[in-house]
Amino acid sequence: MRKNPLLLVGIAFLVFLALFAIFGPSAGGGITETKWGAFEFPSSRHLLGTDQLGRDVLARVAYGARVSLAVGITVQLLALVVGVIFGTIGAFGPKWLSVTVMRFTDGMFAFPDILLAILIIGLFSNSSHGGGALGGFIISGFLPVVVALSITAWPSFARLTNTTAASLKDREFVVAAKALGAPSAYVIVRHVLPQMWGILLAVSMVELAGTILAEATLSFLGIGILPPYPSWGSMINLARDDMVSHPLWLLWPCLILSLTIFALNFVGDGLRAILDPRRK
Amino acid sequence: MRLARQILLRLLYGAVSLVFICFVTFAAQSLASGDAATALAGEKATPEQVVALRHQMGLDRPFPIQFASFMAGAVRGDLGKSYFGQQRPVGDIMRDNLPTTATVAFCAMILAAGIGILLGTLAAIYQNRFADRVVLTVGTLGVTVPNFVLAPILVYIFALKLDQLPQTWEDPLRDAAWKYLLLPVVILAARPTALLTRLTRASMIETLSQEFIRTAVAKGVPPLRLYFKHALRNAILPVITAIGTSFGFLLTGSFVVERFFRLPGVGARTIEAIQRRDTPVIQGGILITGALFILVNLAVDILLPILDPRIREAQV
Repeated sequence: MRKNPLLLVGIAFLVFLALFAIFGPSAGGGITETKWGAFEFPSSRHLLGTDQLGRDVLARVAYGARVSLAVGITVQLLALVVGVIFGTIGAFGPKWLSVTVMRFTDGMFAFPDILLAILIIGLFSNSSHGGGALGGFIISGFLPVVVALSITAWPSFARLTNTTAASLKDREFVVAAKALGAPSAYVIVRHVLPQMWGILLAVSMVELAGTILAEATLSFLGIGILPPYPSWGSMINLARDDMVSHPLWLLWPCLILSLTIFALNFVGDGLRAILDPRRK
Repeated sequence: MRLARQILLRLLYGAVSLVFICFVTFAAQSLASGDAATALAGEKATPEQVVALRHQMGLDRPFPIQFASFMAGAVRGDLGKSYFGQQRPVGDIMRDNLPTTATVAFCAMILAAGIGILLGTLAAIYQNRFADRVVLTVGTLGVTVPNFVLAPILVYIFALKLDQLPQTWEDPLRDAAWKYLLLPVVILAARPTALLTRLTRASMIETLSQEFIRTAVAKGVPPLRLYFKHALRNAILPVITAIGTSFGFLLTGSFVVERFFRLPGVGARTIEAIQRRDTPVIQGGILITGALFILVNLAVDILLPILDPRIREAQV
């Protein structure tokens, strides 16, 4: 770990991002308070100034971090569970089942990444939904995005689990456990899966970067997280109208999004170098 | 004979993929809440009117029959009608918008392949030297910086500060069309260029370490001929496969770029349709984009055995 400074820098940035996402959104009066002037310059009250409606930019960038992390982590957990189940079936299931499952996975994998998410959101999201503040956020933006991105994210975990599990299948400790009469389910849960958590964690860091990017893309296109809730993608879309007079407002969301993607890639690559059983 | 058989088999795979993408688009729509009849009848329609319209449109038929008639329509280019405005046929809307999307996507693909293969080869030749490190760093940036971050930066420099290129598409155009398309193409090409550069570099380094290269060096083949004829011809095969897959990134990127530059393309039209809940146009847009992706990959699959005798001779 000491040999890889990028990994440490990445982890430090992610810790900062998590704290920022937890405590940042209440800064400068919160994300929707508009009683200040539009485009105020950075001051002690608003560390990054205010946007075109007079809302605190720091609070909105921080809320964007909260949205990105919430969407990203939820999607990765769902995709991980589905992917591991399908991948394990593909490696250990009866032939007819494993072939069906892996063919289905290949088919889903071949679908261009965000295209499927756009289709799902296009047909299922309900932009005119009322509900309470939090309920409205979950139903009208968060839920469609999470569902759509989970459906596009699981095939890569299924493939990884499948190939890793298949390579572990004939190793001595698995054969020995089977010879001692352990049922397949027990062998999978106690002997095969524990070998894979490291590589799955490393890959999910890189995949998390992809999911955060996908959420930002959808929000940039106006079909992800919907206003008034801020997301880095929608902030970039809003700020571009005023980029001539106020380039700084475009800079903040672009900067933090790019840094987050970098950090996750550093951490993912660093962890993979340490944890991948095949590289040892 | 073998070549013909392989190409035939790949055409078959392509056809199956097209049916699969049709099925996914169709199935997603029939799972969604509210069908075409409810949308077309309008808010004032009585439930009886909706049922009558549903029967008239054939929406009360069993699922497989509906899918068959959807496929039959799609083959003839009939993808239904838009719910809004003049209720134009979706086929016509796509015909109007596809040329822009296809032009931008293919130009970006050619640009990315050309620059990516060239830079990757150079990086491999100068492995671990200064030029290689520069190419690798730029490549990493190109993969990680999202295109909607790159787009405002380039627009700020070239359209606003230098005032050389138009900021967004205008109707009617006030300048040569290529000037409007230049920035979109470059931005769209960034990510695939970076991917192809890294892949070409890796593949080229592996090829250069093989024995036939040592033999060629030993018998005195001139360097340019060695790199570009002996090595690149072998190293380029996985790169060509990757061109097909990275065309997928390119197509999803075209949604962003078309919206950013307000280009009249399939992606921009699809996003508009999503915001208006215009289901037939959404389906049409996804179907056309997916079909484009499959066709490009089919072309790559057919090109590979032609370029590589080893694949040609392999048993299918």
